Amino acid sequence: MGHDDKGIEDQSRTISAPNDQAMLERQTEEKRPAGRRTFPNFISGSLRARLAVFALTFLIFLSLWQLIASLTNNSLILAKPLPVFQALVNLLQDNVPRATEGLQNPTIAIVQTLEIVFLGFGLAAIVGIPIGILEGRWNFAAGIIDPWIDATHSIPIVALIPTLYFAIGGSFFAFVFIAFLLAVFSIIVNTQSGVKYSIGFLSDVGRSFRASELQFISKIVLPASMPDIITGLRVGLGRAILGAVLAQALLSGNGLGGMIVTFQDLYATPYTMATLLLIAVLGILVLQLPKQLEKRIFKGNEIFETL
Amino acid sequence: MRSGITRYITLFGTGVVFITAWWALAESKHNFAQFAGPGQVAVALGSLFTNSAISASLVPALKDTMVSIFFGFFLAVIVGIPIGVLMGRYIVADLVLDPWVNAWYSVPAIAFVPLVMNWTGLNYGGSIVIAFLIAVFSIILNVYSGVKNCSTTLLDTAASYRASEFQLLSKVMLPASLPQIMIGLRLGLSRAIEGVVISEMLYAAVGLGGMIDYSADHLQSATSDALIIILAIISLVLTGCLRILDRKMIGWKELDAR
Repeated sequence: MGHDDKGIEDQSRTISAPNDQAMLERQTEEKRPAGRRTFPNFISGSLRARLAVFALTFLIFLSLWQLIASLTNNSLILAKPLPVFQALVNLLQDNVPRATEGLQNPTIAIVQTLEIVFLGFGLAAIVGIPIGILEGRWNFAAGIIDPWIDATHSIPIVALIPTLYFAIGGSFFAFVFIAFLLAVFSIIVNTQSGVKYSIGFLSDVGRSFRASELQFISKIVLPASMPDIITGLRVGLGRAILGAVLAQALLSGNGLGGMIVTFQDLYATPYTMATLLLIAVLGILVLQLPKQLEKRIFKGNEIFETL
Repeated sequence: MRSGITRYITLFGTGVVFITAWWALAESKHNFAQFAGPGQVAVALGSLFTNSAISASLVPALKDTMVSIFFGFFLAVIVGIPIGVLMGRYIVADLVLDPWVNAWYSVPAIAFVPLVMNWTGLNYGGSIVIAFLIAVFSIILNVYSGVKNCSTTLLDTAASYRASEFQLLSKVMLPASLPQIMIGLRLGLSRAIEGVVISEMLYAAVGLGGMIDYSADHLQSATSDALIIILAIISLVLTGCLRILDRKMIGWKELDAR
């Protein structure tokens, strides 16, 4: 099959190269080139359309949830939307059910979890980005670190959480370390691939202008590989959240992870589901941060995107 | 640039450094119940297979974990690839599904666990569902971006040869986005393994994850570490299989890129 596909690709390249130019010119005149209606790429739905569709699907989601919950008719297994939202409001007002006297205030729990997440993630960024750059720039470093990164990448690090916790001696910093460990590898891997592959001919430009290594890294390598670094930070942040909540759920009654376990043990299903929603929304919101950062950083750097 | 032999030498050297550091740290702490050194872990690893009482519980645990990983991943593949193709090809599916897939993808895996366990009970059925839920979104997202970013020259050519919709999908888009699909599968597999371990550790108390959590909680850190080594070997073998498949299927693509 290999040869045929290659043939098609080569042929198409030679045939359509001038057409592309023509197409480009036509596109500047009218927004929708007529011949390409069957291809989805040129319609990118406007923001308003996307929001409208999302509102609609959200309503469908809610009614499906209501329907399934009514059919199950067992509030221990699946609570209906309304009680869950009521529980969510209660949680946000620090108004927990009476059976859970020993539980932390939910707002304190949220703050504690976020503390662990951001400390662990911050450490991972501080350690991971330089290691990634080192690896991407010098083959010697890559030779030493690469096999280990490969190995740890294909091993579920989450399995280490209980052992690590006891080995470190179970303090606040054990949680931070776990969040760090889960986050750091994706940051290293993404930074390295960005540094290695995104520079392209810029490395020749830098060399012919006799850039020093420091200038080279700070003025060429970092800006050019920023999209990959941001991707790594995004993935790492998600993993830090996972690590923090999971460690709390497994090892202590504190934080959001502890809240889930406590409510689940009491079969307070609306509260469990409210905590789940809280974690989900928190995860989605926190993961927007790197995207915003990217937008800020790229205001003056569009030139690198075109390369 | 660096040959295979130097690679093995550096691997061996760093391995020696790592084990020595581990050993020194464990000796200085001298609390082997909480922090076992390499020696204790090696002994524990041996006794997992020689001690019949332990291996009697290890074999069903291994079976549970493998079955959960396999079915969870398999389901994620057969559901994820069609949805990804749908989203990449048809703007309506993209509009409807994209925000949901992205949102669910960002949800930390652990959030699924209690709810799923309510439905399935504390057994490997729950692990399968969780592995599926965690793996499917990264597969969908990768297939989606692969199909969506399929080169327009390829599509134009296919259209000018009057390819039918089915031919376009099966002969142009799928082969062209195969590398991205394989990346999705690899990510999905490691996420499925992770999901199984998470759900086993948290609730199911079966399988390897359950055994790891149990032995760590009972201050048998050597046993826990030995079980982690077994889990690591399993996941290295599984991801290695996928990597070989990857090389077999898209070797031509790499040649093309050179």
